[in-house]
Amino acid sequence: MANTEHGVSIEINEEEIDQICEEFGNREGAVVQILQTIQEKYGYVPAEVLERVGEDLGIPHSKMFGVLTFYSQFYQEPRGKFILKVCVGTACHVRGAGLLVDKIKENLHIEAGENTEDMLFTLEPVACLGSCALAPMAMVNGNTYGKLSADKMVELINQFQEEGSGSDEEPVPAS
Amino acid sequence: MLTETVEEMAAGLFRDVTIPTIHIGMATCGLAAGARSILELVEKELQKRGLEARIVPTGCIGMCHNEPLVDITMPGKYRVSYRNVKALIIPQIFDAHFVKGDFAKKYAVCQIPVGGHTPYEGLPLMHETNFFKGQVKIVSSRCGLIDPSSIEDYIATNGYKALRKMLTSMTPEMVIEEMTKSGIRGRGGGGFPTGLKWKLTRQSPGDEKYVVCNADEGDPGAFMDRSILEGDPHSVLEGMLAAAYSIGNSKKGYIYCRAEYPLAIKRLRKAIDDAKERNFLGDNILGTDFSFDITIKEGAGAYVCGEETALLASLMGERGMPWPKPPFPAQKGVWGKPTVINNVETLGNVGHILLGGGDWYASYGSEKTKGTKTFALTGSIKNSGLIEVPAGTPLRSIVFDIGGGMLEKKIPFKAAQLGGPSGGCIPTSGLDTPVDFENVVAAGAIMGSGGIVIMDEASCIVDTAKFFLKFTQDESCGECTPCRVGSKIMLDILTRITEGQGQEGDLDELIRLSMYVKSNSLCGLGAAAPNPVLSTIRYFREEFEAHIRDKHCPGTVCANLIKYVVIEEDCTTCGLCEPVCPTGSVTWDKGEVAHINLETCIRCKACVDACKFRAII
Repeated sequence: MANTEHGVSIEINEEEIDQICEEFGNREGAVVQILQTIQEKYGYVPAEVLERVGEDLGIPHSKMFGVLTFYSQFYQEPRGKFILKVCVGTACHVRGAGLLVDKIKENLHIEAGENTEDMLFTLEPVACLGSCALAPMAMVNGNTYGKLSADKMVELINQFQEEGSGSDEEPVPAS
Repeated sequence: MLTETVEEMAAGLFRDVTIPTIHIGMATCGLAAGARSILELVEKELQKRGLEARIVPTGCIGMCHNEPLVDITMPGKYRVSYRNVKALIIPQIFDAHFVKGDFAKKYAVCQIPVGGHTPYEGLPLMHETNFFKGQVKIVSSRCGLIDPSSIEDYIATNGYKALRKMLTSMTPEMVIEEMTKSGIRGRGGGGFPTGLKWKLTRQSPGDEKYVVCNADEGDPGAFMDRSILEGDPHSVLEGMLAAAYSIGNSKKGYIYCRAEYPLAIKRLRKAIDDAKERNFLGDNILGTDFSFDITIKEGAGAYVCGEETALLASLMGERGMPWPKPPFPAQKGVWGKPTVINNVETLGNVGHILLGGGDWYASYGSEKTKGTKTFALTGSIKNSGLIEVPAGTPLRSIVFDIGGGMLEKKIPFKAAQLGGPSGGCIPTSGLDTPVDFENVVAAGAIMGSGGIVIMDEASCIVDTAKFFLKFTQDESCGECTPCRVGSKIMLDILTRITEGQGQEGDLDELIRLSMYVKSNSLCGLGAAAPNPVLSTIRYFREEFEAHIRDKHCPGTVCANLIKYVVIEEDCTTCGLCEPVCPTGSVTWDKGEVAHINLETCIRCKACVDACKFRAII
């Protein structure tokens, strides 16, 4: 089946979903991991997929939806190529993380949790990434950037913009 | 103590090494500071000079403020640590070591003793530096010293020795006895005696029991567990093995780790694979009847899952909602079976306790809190990083000796926030508080999992209280009304106060609601949510009142209450402030004092940051 909601078309293979569920033994206890595996594959959890997983595991859709929406790291919509996770934990807050978030909003014209129109960026303020000594910091697709300032943030965005429009290669993950 | 452990461990690491070794700090903090490109540069420099050396990635030694850190150990010499390493200084460091047979004085922080090797002259030893002087490293002793992805390094530093000792010469009761003697209490913040927890789980009837490691470190401003997982993952596995052995009938353990820690998860995976290969994990461990396996479960982003019953619910694929206790996990945990849940730091200590003995561990610390505690020291402080000190160390010595005092000399200390969203602020008058479970609670905060955020006079206490309450309010799972609704009303009041809409009676209402939410919430998250508000009202009532009555924010943080002015005497008429203003509200002419138009000013603080003379407040 093809999913065309949110203006993005992705192919969903039902057999593949069944296979993923089977890998985890169709166990109810593995719901979170199954959804994580699916999200890794599609970038988010499409509505039909959630239904299919529920059917495979014999879990009512209401409960599936409950689990999906409880955790902040599950997404019901596609997300940008570069996820700008800006830490707004205590140490970063004290050292001006709010200014970074404002700068991104201003530059990319998006609010927290939104994607840019070209689907290049998603802004996601997160609570503490655990590198407080390098506050304020951000994590983009697994890479960490410390001691940021509003200007450095703009530089980073420009850099990603170039990378993103240049090729389809995934950025190199941290370590 | 610091020297002995480190020296002995380091001796093991370099036993059969005949070529130079270069350690590079590659924990999340190191990577964020650019350690990856430093590693590439070091490789290139070696190639260029045709030199042979081992490059070893390591975890976090605690000096996060000095990242990227590079250590060089020449054969037979002590290990020299270099701080804030940049591209330009790498050739100088290489010249010093490889050409002159010396060290680069300008960039070196200290030298780490290696048993059997000789020291350099004119460079302080690690334990002589202010940062390490007051520290006792037990659970963090390997962090930053070893290659965390190498099981050989772990074994060379006494790793899995406790497991061997336990399986060959100790009964489960003896293990529990040793843990009880050590006096260690849950390092995740709960403070429940670990020995007793294991004993209760052992006594719980059941032929199937579980061990769970709580690695869902979610307090903003806390990264002790991340450092241990990234720097010494095997120590956590060894602790879990001891827990499984002592509770009996346990073949399976889980590590529940938050997904925001990708590197920690990667290191754990590797550690588990390597341990299985060597039969430290799996069936018939080291030829005995004891079998145990560990699976990693990644969290999916929910702070409340750090609460043990919510964690168990999440582990079983449910919404991470806490359940009322009893039943305690020791009676009914994973899949309804007796379960031990311990925090990363608690488990990381176990191997050391079993090797050194409970009495040895209990010789550190204060009367009721034995041993050491790690803290993540951050905020407006000079030396931010990960530290480990004996419980009961006065807050003052943590901030001013180890921490090196305030980040900006001119701005004095205002408060230390301990325990994150469940904790509170301790003001200047409480600086002599011994940091252990009981004394910190008496001072109005909690020791918690170990986050210490230092605030200076330029920060706003009301804003901080609001920040933490917003955090818990966002993360409230919604199950019980006091937490879900109570925290929301409190947040609304605090938001009003910071926006200049505070009213008389707001503080009394906040206190009333706090007491209600505290006593009626279902789990620890709700019960502790009002703590940041209560402790700040207790110590900083005037600052709240300044916001409410005078519509004034003394820390100049709350945007609606700020009126920026240029202090004429301090203004050097340099004009740096003018071009940075996004709304053109700053006017300045050559040789004239700048002026700010408050009508159009959006309080972005750009001019304040641009002014090098602190003439705008």
